[in-house]
Parts: sequence; C-alpha cells; structure tokens
Amino acid sequence: MNPEKVYDVIVSPAITEKSTMMSENNQVMFNVARSASKPKIKKAVETLFDVKVKSVNTLVRKGKVKRFRGVHGKQNDVKKAIVTLEEGYSIDVTTGL
Amino acid sequence: MQVTETLNEGLKREFKVVVTAAQLEQQMMARLTELGASANIRGFRRGKVPITHLRKLYGKSVMAEVVQKTVEDTSQQALAEKEVKPAYQPEIGMTEDEDEIGSIIDGKADLSYTMSFEVVPPIDIQEFSDLQVERHVVNVEDEHIDTALESIATQYKDFQARADGAKSEDGDRVTISFVGRVNGEEFEGGKAEDVPLELGSNSFIPGFEEQLVGVKAGDERTVKVSFPDDYSVDTLAGKPAVFDVNVSAVEEPKEATIDDEFAQKLGLENLEKLREGVTQRISEEFGEMSKLKLKRDMLDALDKAYSFELPAKLVDAEFNQIWAALTAEMEKEKRSFEDEDTTEDEAREEYKSIAERRVRLGLVLGTIGEQAEVTVTDEELERALIERARQFQGQEKQVYDFYRNNPNAMVELRGPIFEQKVVDHIAEKASIGEKTVTRDELVHMLEHEDHDHDHDAGEDKAAKKARPAKKATAKKSAAKKAPAKKKTAKKAAKSKDD
Repeated sequence: MNPEKVYDVIVSPAITEKSTMMSENNQVMFNVARSASKPKIKKAVETLFDVKVKSVNTLVRKGKVKRFRGVHGKQNDVKKAIVTLEEGYSIDVTTGL
Repeated sequence: MQVTETLNEGLKREFKVVVTAAQLEQQMMARLTELGASANIRGFRRGKVPITHLRKLYGKSVMAEVVQKTVEDTSQQALAEKEVKPAYQPEIGMTEDEDEIGSIIDGKADLSYTMSFEVVPPIDIQEFSDLQVERHVVNVEDEHIDTALESIATQYKDFQARADGAKSEDGDRVTISFVGRVNGEEFEGGKAEDVPLELGSNSFIPGFEEQLVGVKAGDERTVKVSFPDDYSVDTLAGKPAVFDVNVSAVEEPKEATIDDEFAQKLGLENLEKLREGVTQRISEEFGEMSKLKLKRDMLDALDKAYSFELPAKLVDAEFNQIWAALTAEMEKEKRSFEDEDTTEDEAREEYKSIAERRVRLGLVLGTIGEQAEVTVTDEELERALIERARQFQGQEKQVYDFYRNNPNAMVELRGPIFEQKVVDHIAEKASIGEKTVTRDELVHMLEHEDHDHDHDAGEDKAAKKARPAKKATAKKSAAKKAPAKKKTAKKAAKSKDD
C-alpha cells in the first residue's frame, strides 16, 4: 500500500478510557475513514506501524441529531476500528502518529 | 539521600548530595496520582485517567518538577543533618551534561548535585556591659529657641507693595507671568501666570532672578538665560532660553517681629505657646540626634569588639552592591575618581572595608537579636510603612500599596527596625555614660565622623533637606532650578548604608 494512502484509511488513534483498557488485551483503537474496509485497515496498520495484525473489528457510531435554534443538524458518523495485534507486537499511539 | 562532605575549609563547606532514582520515582508517582485525581483529559472522565497514560503524557515535566523540589528539600535536609547554618542561600551545582539530565528525568539515573556555601562564623556574644559608649545630651537653651523662631519668622515673612513705580531690589518678591522659549519654541512647563518669586532665593534657574532686579510693576522684560548643564530635564539641559516676563507686582519684605501677633498668625494663642512648641520640637530633634550618635558609637564599638572571619561571598555581594550604586551615581553626575581625590583602587579598598564592616555588624546584630529574641511586630512594621509613605508627598497611596504587595520591599523596611531594636536592647544592658555637649559639637560630630556608615543618618538628612525644599518649590515650573544635588557620590553610597 502506498504510504500516503495509509492516512486516507486511518484518521487518528482513539485515546479514551476504553481504548487504554483495551491495550491490556493487545488491542488498539483507531478512528478510520467511513469508506475503509477491514482488509484495508489491516494493511494500513501493518505498513504504518510495522506490526502483524491478527484481526480487525469495526463499528460505526452514528452522529447525533442536534438542534440549534430550531434548525436541525446532524453530527458526522464516526467509524472506529479495533485492531487486535499478533502476540509480541505493540503500538504506542499515545505519543502521536 | 546521601550527603558527603567534600570540602571543609575555613568557613567554606561543600556537600555532595545523592538521591537515588527509586526515591525520585516514588516522588513522581505520588505527584502523578495527585495530578490524576483532578486531571481533565479528552476521552477520559475527570479523575479516571490511568497513571500509565498520565506518565506517558506528563512524565517528563513532572519529573523535572520533582527533581527541582527534591533538590530544594534535600539541600535543606542536608543542612539540618549536618547541623550547619549557611550564611546565605547555598549554591547548587548540577550536571550540565544534557544526556545525564535526560537520564535523570527518565528516572534511570540517580540525582546527584553539589551544594557549596559558607557557614555563619561562630560569634561569641560578649558581655554588653563591656561596651563603653556615651550618650551625648544636648540641653535646649534660649539661644536655640531664638534662632528657631527667627527662622520661622523669615519663612513667614510679610511683603508689602512698593510705592508706585519703585524698582525692585534683591530680596523683594515680584509676581510675574512668563512664557519661556527655547529656539523660539515654547516648551513644557515653561509657562506660568502670577507666580510669586522672591528675588535672590535661587529657586529659578541661575541668572533668571538677577535680571529681574530693577523692574517696576507693569514692566515687561525679556530674560535670557541658559539652563544649567545638569538640569533635570535632559532636553533642556545646557540650552539657552528666552523668557518673556510680565511683572504684575513688586513687593518689599517687611521685618517680622516675634510677638503675640506673630504667634497668632501661626495659629497659636500667644508667644508663650509658640516658644513652648518650639522648645518641644527642638528637644525632640536633639533627642533624635543623640540617639543617632549613640547608635553610631555603639556600632563602632561593636565593630571594634568583634573580629572574626567573614563569609567572603557576603562581603563580595555587599561590596558589589555599594560599588554598583556608587558607579551609577558617578556616571549620572559625570564625575570621576580624580574629582574625589582618589583613585579607583583606593576607592575600592575603602568600600571593601565598609562592606566588611557592614557584614560583620549585620552578623553580630543578627546573632544578638536572635539570642535576645528580638522580633519585629506587624504593628511596628505598619508604622514604619506609614512613615515611609509620608515621605512621598502626593503618592502616599501608591507607596503604601507597593510595599503591601511586595514582600521583598517589606523586608527592606524590617531591617532598620530590627537593627534599632537590637541597638536599644544593647543600650539597656551596656554601661552608658552621659555627657552634655553643645548642639554645634554634636552636629559637628555627626557630620564629620569619618565612618559615617549609618543608614538612618543619610535618610534623615535627606528627608530634612527635602521637606523645606518642597515647600519652596510647591508650584512646579520647569524654569525652576532642579534642587541642587550637593550630595557627593560618596555620601549617596553611604546613605544607602546600614
């Protein structure tokens, strides 16, 4: 995969309480593009961090409907990917990509 | 924490302090937990950020903080452990190597630093009764009262208008309006209307008043003068100026007689009351003077009585302070050492000994004060503060607030009070003889003492000088001469002395 295209798939690491808890199980959470597929994510993570990926699970968190002065608006949907790494690999995302 | 003494020479001490990485780590963890309890980071609920995460984010800065705090704490502990009293804040020497600092911050290496300082020399406080000092007392005599009354009389002298068309003479008071120009342009403060000016009082720039001798009421004059080179306003100093002066009145002085009427004019019942008031004021003044003299004599005596090795750093610091003040003053007045009949080396020598004396007296007074448990109460501090504020007429509020909001400035006020209290304390115990002298003798002694190193001395004089001067120049005008700075650089340095 082209190195620049990696960033079209992976938007940012998700650093939250839940994601830090997951790191115990050798899992990392990313915000990814809405169009990203599991194989693409797997490839991207492997090239970017030089690790082996065991599996990828994704979820789409739907944006909330917000009303402001009677005008309806909708927050963007966010796709997240929970990447499980093979034994013996690790990623430190807290220091930034 | 491990403390090893690496130098013990005279008053100098040097310690090497080592704090293990484990201890630092522990401190850092404690600090992080504390931070974590209230940290508000995106993605986490308040106070729920895992320490490992916090450490990744803030580990470095927290560690730097911890190191700094540890250095402070352990240096204090080291001093307590070794039971030494430093004469000043110890100098902390840390490694300059970045890699080394980095590994300390990362918690891999032990923290080690050196602290060097000098200890307070041991001072054996001698019996105060061995101090021989004399209190110089001046009795108030009629003569003093008379002179004081006369000087009041001249200050409040009356003027009466001269006959129409009579010319002014030296000593007369003229009322003038003037517009001053430099190079044909008016300048700030060079304009005033209906200003009373006493000819010969030298309150305006030199040459101005002389040219108004011989004017009549209603005259118009052009006065050409040049500002003195040391004039307080830079842009005007040394420049020739032309003043268009309109004389509106010429008055001659009237001899003031000191009688009941005069007393009433001053707001007192009669001459008797006035004399009483003056007597009281004079005796207070004499009291202050003899107190000052006593203090100085006592300091001299203490200086002689005690000799011990002084911490070189303190002396240097003191000397540098004097020297900086001195050179700045000389720079300002454009004087050189030759003008003072000395060379730089000689002056250095002289001020060095002054610095030593100050440090020695400071230490002695400090020790005595400590032993006698002399403390400065807030009340006394407050009084001194008000006193200080009063010296700045018109800005009392600002001065007051400045000191209130500035703990360092307060320390400066505390010093002289403490000193005075200690001196009083010694005075109580010491054997003090009394000796009656005349006023002139006392004044002479105070002014001509070779080592006039006293803080209060300079300040009192300055204050006394400043007050009458302020009255005379209450109406501000740039044409007026800046109060002649007669103080030599030397005196200025001494007035800072204490």
